[in-house]
Amino acid sequence: MTKRILVVEDQEDNRIILRRLLSNAGYDLIEAVNGEDGVALALSTRPDLILMDIQLPVMDGYEATRRIKSNAELKSIPVIAVTSYALSGDEAKARAAGCDAYVAKPFSPRQLLAKVREYLPTEG
Amino acid sequence: MIAPRTRMEATTSAASTLGRSAWRKVPILAASFRQCWSEVAWSNLLNKIRLTRSRRAGGLFRKYATLLVALVGGSLIINATIEMYYSYGENRHALIAVQREKAQGAAAVIEQFVKEIEGQVGWATGFLPAGSGLEQRRFDFLRLLRQAPAITEVSYIDSDGREQIRVSRLAMDTLASGADMSQEPKFVEAKAKKRYLSPVYFRKESEPYLTLSITGAGRSAGVTVAEVNLKFIWDVISRMQVGKAGSAYVVDERGLLIAHPDIGMVLRKTDLNQLPHVALALKKLRDASLDVPAISRDHAGHEVLTAYASIGSLNWLVFVDLPLIEALQPIYDSLRRTIIVLALGLAFAVLAGIWLARRMAVPVRALAEGAARIGGGDLDHRIEVQSRDEVGTLADSFNEMGGRLKESYATLEQKVTDRTYELSQALDQLRALIEVSQAINSTLELRAVLAAILAHACRLANAGGGAIYTFDDVTEEFSLAATHGMSTELIEAIREAHPRLSDNGPIGQSTLTRSVIQIADLATEPAYPLRQALLRADVRALLAVPLLREERIIGAFMVRRRQPGSFDQAVIELMQSFASQSALAIQNARLFQEIEEKSRQLEVASQHKSQFLANMSHELRTPLNAVLGYAELMQDGLYGELAPETKEVLVRIQGNGNHLLGLINDVLDLSKIEAGQLTLSIDDYSVANVVQTVVSATESLAAAKKLPLIVNVSDDLPIGQGDERRIAQVLLNLVGNAIKFTDVGEVRITVTAPNGVFAVAVADTGPGIPDAERGQIFQEFHQVDSSNTKKKGGTGLGLAIAKRIVELHGGHLWVESELGKGSTFHLELPIRAEQRGAVA
Repeated sequence: MTKRILVVEDQEDNRIILRRLLSNAGYDLIEAVNGEDGVALALSTRPDLILMDIQLPVMDGYEATRRIKSNAELKSIPVIAVTSYALSGDEAKARAAGCDAYVAKPFSPRQLLAKVREYLPTEG
Repeated sequence: MIAPRTRMEATTSAASTLGRSAWRKVPILAASFRQCWSEVAWSNLLNKIRLTRSRRAGGLFRKYATLLVALVGGSLIINATIEMYYSYGENRHALIAVQREKAQGAAAVIEQFVKEIEGQVGWATGFLPAGSGLEQRRFDFLRLLRQAPAITEVSYIDSDGREQIRVSRLAMDTLASGADMSQEPKFVEAKAKKRYLSPVYFRKESEPYLTLSITGAGRSAGVTVAEVNLKFIWDVISRMQVGKAGSAYVVDERGLLIAHPDIGMVLRKTDLNQLPHVALALKKLRDASLDVPAISRDHAGHEVLTAYASIGSLNWLVFVDLPLIEALQPIYDSLRRTIIVLALGLAFAVLAGIWLARRMAVPVRALAEGAARIGGGDLDHRIEVQSRDEVGTLADSFNEMGGRLKESYATLEQKVTDRTYELSQALDQLRALIEVSQAINSTLELRAVLAAILAHACRLANAGGGAIYTFDDVTEEFSLAATHGMSTELIEAIREAHPRLSDNGPIGQSTLTRSVIQIADLATEPAYPLRQALLRADVRALLAVPLLREERIIGAFMVRRRQPGSFDQAVIELMQSFASQSALAIQNARLFQEIEEKSRQLEVASQHKSQFLANMSHELRTPLNAVLGYAELMQDGLYGELAPETKEVLVRIQGNGNHLLGLINDVLDLSKIEAGQLTLSIDDYSVANVVQTVVSATESLAAAKKLPLIVNVSDDLPIGQGDERRIAQVLLNLVGNAIKFTDVGEVRITVTAPNGVFAVAVADTGPGIPDAERGQIFQEFHQVDSSNTKKKGGTGLGLAIAKRIVELHGGHLWVESELGKGSTFHLELPIRAEQRGAVA
């Protein structure tokens, strides 16, 4: 069964790169452009992993993560935060919000894929 | 009897030469006198005089008294002793002489008597020739008896020792009895020595007699023997008056008593040889060198003063004895008188001594006590000494000294009081100024500072109220900044009046002329805008001081009094101090306001800058991120297989992109560090993991240059505390540089943990860093050789950022290098690091 990853990302380029990268790696991709949509999609699609950008319009990644993790049905889904390198303390904040892992921007697609595979090993 | 000499005479030392019993009274008298001295003189008199209050004065008194008494008494006693000694000797001598005279007189009389008898007998003997008729001889003998009543019987013995005739008053005359007397001593002795005196004998046991035998002239001469009644001698002796109880007596050569007033003793044939003086006197007849004592004992054992005379032809001795008691009676009397006089003299001496000592000691004591009281601080005390001698002069000097001392004390006290007051005032002022300074330095609340200054100033200037004005440069008006002791009415009046620089009031005038202006009496002052209001508020005098700062008017300072009168120069100077403090405070407050404003603006600017940088970096990185992402995807063939040249280009795009990303990140880091916004995410970390991470990231680089990357990490490193990501960043920078600048050799990473720190060393075998450059490599935008930058890449920010990150951890980063041999970067980090203050 193909694993499903929810990508919450407002940057179109990033979404394109992730889509290409993760699809190529054999994952199903669901995309949201802000935190609110992300939470809604998480609820409706129950992904196996969530890649959460932090700087998002409408609702930021911290808040979205907190909502997901406070939901009994969603809290078991791993959330990997994709944060800006520039803002120190982001990792701590991300962990405080309930993120399971942390990838700093700018991320290397290879590194990101490696991190995703820690949580969702692809068969074959 | 000699009349006793009436002189003061007494002695105790002479007592030894006198009879003990005779002098027994002297020590008794002396003892009683001593008793009198000690008990009466000392106890009573001293107590009466009560000189015991002051021990010293008492001591002086005792000394004086003792000295005086000792002087007077001693001289009296010595005088009396000497007098007594000589008087006694002279008296005794005189007495003995008198007695000897008497004895000699008596001896002469007795000798005369005996000689006369002898002569008469001799005459009767020698008158008739030997063969004369008995009748003739009897006739002569009768005539002899008639002429010499002392002769009781006379006889004639012829040369053959036959008694021829005996004529007696008591018996019948005997003629030619022929009695043989040839063996009788009176015949034998007379024949041998022409003359013979028999021992005394007694007739009828009552009358002393002696036999006198004289041999006549010629070989056939007979011996005339006369029995001589010695009653005459007894009469002589008895008639002799020797004192009252004294007596004279005669002893013969054998010591037998011949004559004594007590005839009984004579009759008892008393032998006086037992008496020492008699025995000695008898011996002296044969041996003239002997001394006969003048004092001896009579037959009854009484001590006597004795003298004697010898009756030369008879070898008899006449003694005259006077009982010693009687003999010395005049001396006793004299002694008694002397002692009485001495006692009186001593008593007088004691009294006089005490009186004199008192005369001497009391003023001295008064002097001592007075001096002590003056010395003790009672400068009003005056010593009462009336005497007009040195002591009186001394007392006067003391009194004068006391007076002078008191005078100088009074002035001194006044001076001390004045100085103390001045000092306390100065101290008070100083304290107020210090408090004001402290207030200025400790609080930026200008109103509170000015109020404090004003309160202190008013108190020290003895002013009821005061005010501090600030000056507005634009409106040239003064406004109240602080008030003290002012009614709301007055404050309101001043607010309405808007004192101006051009006013003719004291505020305007003092600031305009840059000088202190005081109004001693407001009532006599020409009118100015606020004068009436001030007068209504009972202000009569005021002092205005301009507040200036480098000749610029800042405001005015004013104190006011309700009493008219000018302000002291000291007060004016003090108010000037307070005024300059006020000016300082106002200026400080203004400066502070400015600084605060500037600082606030700066802060805003800085925030803007930080925000801008953050946004900028985000904005810059987001597209860069996309570029790098696409490039990587393309490289990885996600967009189809690419020609090798295209792949090469993609690698270059990625390399340049990464470099650009590094630049952006470094600039961002540095700007955050400089803004003090770089905060550490302190957490537990493992140094070994950090090293491993760095090695993983750099080993491909090293491998590309064929450089061995050697790692020496101790096994027992503790878990550290710090910002793992930042530490990794630092180490990455150091290792990256080492690899970057080293072409041959090796890069070695060593990690140990001595003394509570992690010591990390990154050593390379690169070109090394010149000494001159070593201090600069940690500065921003610096590379050892600018040509290197192009060759080796890098922003030149890495070491500067690394150093600051290390310092934020409380650690150190430094380099040791040798040109041509390589460099070693040392990193020391506290194992348990905490965030340090922002490093600018």
